[in-house]
Amino acid sequence: MRIGAMLGDISRSLFKRPVTERYPFERKATPERLRGQLTFDPAKCTGCKICVRDCPAHGIEIMVVDKVAKRFVMRFHTDRCTYCAQCVVSCKFDALGMSHEQWELAALSKEAFFVSFGREEDIQALLTQVTCTPGVAPVGPVAPATT
Amino acid sequence: MNIELPPLVALLFFPGGLFLLSAGTVYEWADRKLVARFQNRIGPRWFQPVADVVKLLAKEEIVPDGVNPVLFHGLPVVALVGTLTAALYVPMAGMAPSYSFTGDLIVTLYLLSLMTLSMGLAGANTLDRFSLIGATRALTQLFSYEAPFLMALLGPAIAAGSWQISHVDAYAQGHWWMVLTQPVGFLVALVGLMGKLELPPFDSPEAETEIVAGPMTEYSGRGWALFRIGRDVELLVGLTLMAAFYLGGLANPIEFVLKTGGLLLVTAALQSLFCRLRIDQTVGMWWRIGILLALAQLFLLAFMR
Amino acid sequence: MDTQQEPRKTFVVPIGPQHPALKEPGHFEITVDGEIVTAATVRLGYVHRGIEKGVEQQNWTQAMYMLERICGICSHVHATAYALGVEALAGVQAPPRAQAIRVLVAELERVHSHLLWLGVAAHEGGFDTLFMYSWRDREMIMDVLEGLTGNRVNYSCNVLGGVKFDVDDTHADAIRRAIDFLEPRTHHYLKVVTTDETLIGRTRNVGTMTSLEAETLGTVGPTARASGVPRDIRVDAPYAAYPDFPVKTITATAGDLEAKFVVRIQELFESYRVIREILDKLPAGDLAVRMKPRIPPGETVSRVEAPRGELFYFLKSAGGLNPDRVKVRTPSLCNWGSVLATAPGHKLADVPMLIAGIDPCFSCNDRLVTVRRRSTAETWTWAKLRQYGIEYYR
Ligand code: SF4
Ligand code: SF4
Repeated sequence: MRIGAMLGDISRSLFKRPVTERYPFERKATPERLRGQLTFDPAKCTGCKICVRDCPAHGIEIMVVDKVAKRFVMRFHTDRCTYCAQCVVSCKFDALGMSHEQWELAALSKEAFFVSFGREEDIQALLTQVTCTPGVAPVGPVAPATT
Repeated sequence: MNIELPPLVALLFFPGGLFLLSAGTVYEWADRKLVARFQNRIGPRWFQPVADVVKLLAKEEIVPDGVNPVLFHGLPVVALVGTLTAALYVPMAGMAPSYSFTGDLIVTLYLLSLMTLSMGLAGANTLDRFSLIGATRALTQLFSYEAPFLMALLGPAIAAGSWQISHVDAYAQGHWWMVLTQPVGFLVALVGLMGKLELPPFDSPEAETEIVAGPMTEYSGRGWALFRIGRDVELLVGLTLMAAFYLGGLANPIEFVLKTGGLLLVTAALQSLFCRLRIDQTVGMWWRIGILLALAQLFLLAFMR
Repeated sequence: MDTQQEPRKTFVVPIGPQHPALKEPGHFEITVDGEIVTAATVRLGYVHRGIEKGVEQQNWTQAMYMLERICGICSHVHATAYALGVEALAGVQAPPRAQAIRVLVAELERVHSHLLWLGVAAHEGGFDTLFMYSWRDREMIMDVLEGLTGNRVNYSCNVLGGVKFDVDDTHADAIRRAIDFLEPRTHHYLKVVTTDETLIGRTRNVGTMTSLEAETLGTVGPTARASGVPRDIRVDAPYAAYPDFPVKTITATAGDLEAKFVVRIQELFESYRVIREILDKLPAGDLAVRMKPRIPPGETVSRVEAPRGELFYFLKSAGGLNPDRVKVRTPSLCNWGSVLATAPGHKLADVPMLIAGIDPCFSCNDRLVTVRRRSTAETWTWAKLRQYGIEYYR
C-alpha cells in the first residue's frame, strides 16, 4: 500500500530523452523483412499466374506479352494490396519480392497507386488497353508508371 | 518591485489583459510539456495552446437545442472575466497588485470560484446527459474543495495579520517561507488548487472516458475557447497566490518565474502520479482529510498568535 | 433528457456508439440513479463486415488473410486457428519447426496484447502515466514482431501447411533482448497495480465475479481465470507446439478488476518463459509442407487460446476450392454477459473500467442477424450482402 508507485518512473523520465519518435523528421531504418511494395523480376517469371490466383486482394495483374521472350508486365495496385506476402510465397520461381525500403505509399492521386513492372514498351502498349480482372472494377488507361 | 502603471495599461496590457492571456497559454504549455516529460513523451510545441485557442475561436459555435442562449453565451464570458479580474489583486509577475484593498483575498477567492460555478451552470444549462452529470460532479467538487482551499490560504493571512494580499505578500518576503512553517496548509492549498482546476487526479467532472467532456460537452468554438483561456489564467493566478503566500512572496519577476515554475513542476508531477479519483473518493478525501488538516492548522495558528 | 415532456424515473447514460471510452463502436445504455448504475444493456453490431460470408467466395488460401483481419490485436491467432483447421481437414501436419514458430509469434502477440490492455485499462481509469509507460514498453515487442514478421499488426506468419519465415539467430537475440528488458518492467507494473493506493481504490472489489458466476456466464480467457475458473485451451486441448512447450494456467480467486490485472500480468511472465524456451529449443526442419488447392470434404472444429480467451473456428469443406462454411466465435462475445451482470450497483465511473476489464474487441463479435419469416426466407449471396450494406449506409 503506497501512494505514487510510479514516482521513480516519472522522476527518472524528467532527465531522460523522450522516447517519442520524431517521424517524419527523423527516420529509423526499416527492418530487413518489412513488407513494403512488391518487386518483380520478369526474367524469372513464367506467367503461371499462381500469384494472381492466391492474392486475397486482387492486388496483382500479370500480363503475358511473349512467354518465350520472357516479356511480362506486372501491374501492382498498392492501394488494394494487403502486404501479406502470399504471392511471394506462392511464386515458385522467385519472381516476386517485397521491398523494405519502399513502404511510404500514401499518395494524393489514384494514379500513384498503380505501379507497372516490365519492359517500358510493353507497359506503354498495355497502358492504352482497358483491363478487367474478375471481381474487380475495370481499370482505365492510366498515367505513366514507374519501374 | 513596484512600478506605477496607468490604470488603463494595467487593465488592458500589463499585468492584466493581454499579458494574462499570453502568460496563461505559456503556463498551459509548460504544464502539458512537463506532464509529457514525466510520461517520457515529447509533448506539444510551444505554440500549441495558442493554436488550439485560435482554431477554436475560428470554429463555428453550435448552440444546441433547449439551452438558454443568453446563459450559453454569457457563462464563458463570466468565467473568463472572473479570473481576469482576480488576477488584478494578486502580485502578478512579481509586481505589486494593480488594485488592492482590505479583504481582497476573499474577493479573489470568490472570483476564482466563478470559473467552476460558470462551468457547472453551463453544464446544467444544456440537456445533454454527459453535461448534466458533469455539472453535478463539478458543483459537488466545488463545494468540497472550496472550504479547505480557503482555510489553507487563510493560514498565511492570519500569520501576517491581514486579509490583504499585498500585505501577506510583503509579510512573506520578510519572514521564513511559510511552506516550512505551515507545511500542512501548503499541501492542502496545492491539492485544493488542483481540485479547483480539475487537473488529474481530480478531473472526474470531465473524465473523458466516462462523460466525454463533462459540462463542456456541448461547447464548441468560442465558448469552449473562452473557458479554456479562463482555466489557463486561473492556473496562473492560483500559482501566483500560492507562491506569494507560501514560497516567501514575490518580489520581482525572476522570483515569480522561478517560484511559479517550481510549483508547476510539482503539480505536473502530482498530475502524472495518480489514477483518477472517483467523485465520491474526491469528496470523501476532502471532507475527511483536507478540511480537518486545514482546520487543525488554522486553530494552531490562531492559538499561537 | 426528456424530463420536460414525459417525466421518467430513469436516467439513461448512453455510452457509444461514439464515445471517448470506446476505441471501437458499441452501444451501452447505462441506467443510473445519481452516480449508481442500476441497469446496463449492450448493443453490438456497428462494425459488421460480413467476413464469414466473404470467405466463402475466396479460395482456401485467400480466406486466411481475410480472417486474419477479424481482429487487429490478435490477428495471428485467427490465422493460426484457421490454418490448423484447414490442415486437419486436409490431413496434413505442419512441420514441428513451423508449429513452434506459430506458438512463438502467438506468445509474442499475447505479450503485446496484454501490455496494450494494461495501458487501455489504466487510461479508462484515468491513470495516463501507466498507460504511457506500458505502451512505451509494448513498443519493444512491436519492434520485435516487425523485425521478425515484417509487419506490426497483421503478421501474416502462417501459410496453409506451415509458416512463411524462419527465426534466425539475430531475431532470436532481438527477442531475448526485448524480453530481458520487459521482464523487470513487468514486475514493476505488477507492483504498481497491486500497491498503488489510487489505482487500488478503483480496482479492488470492483466488478467482483465469483467462480460460479464466471462459469454460469460462460466467460473465457483471463476474465474467467481471474475468477478462479481454470479455462485455457493451451492447457485443456494443446494445439500446435503447446504439447512440447506446456504453459501453466494462471488463475486468481478474487474475481475483481484487480485480479484481472494480476492474472494478465502474470500471464506475461508465463509467456516470457515459453518464448525463451522456444528460442532455446527450436526444432529443426522444414517450414512448410505443400498443400493442394482443393481440401477434401469434411467438417472440423479448431480452437486456440487468443489473448482474450478461447477462439473457436468451425470449418466445413465441400471438397472445392473455397470453404463451404466458416464460423468464428471470438472470445469477446462470451464475456459481455459478465460486464452487464456485474455493472449494477457500481458507480458510473467504474463502468468504463468494467468494460475494459474483459479486454473487449468490438469488431470481433459483430454479427448480422436476419429474422427469417417463412415467406421471405432466402439465402443471401455475397454480392447481395454487399449491396445491402452499400444501400443501408447510403
Ligand atoms: S507466380 Fe511467379 S512465375 Fe507465376 S505468374 Fe506470378 S510472378 Fe510469374
Ligand atoms: S502481398 Fe498479398 S495482397 Fe499484396 S499482391 Fe501479394 S498476395 Fe496480393
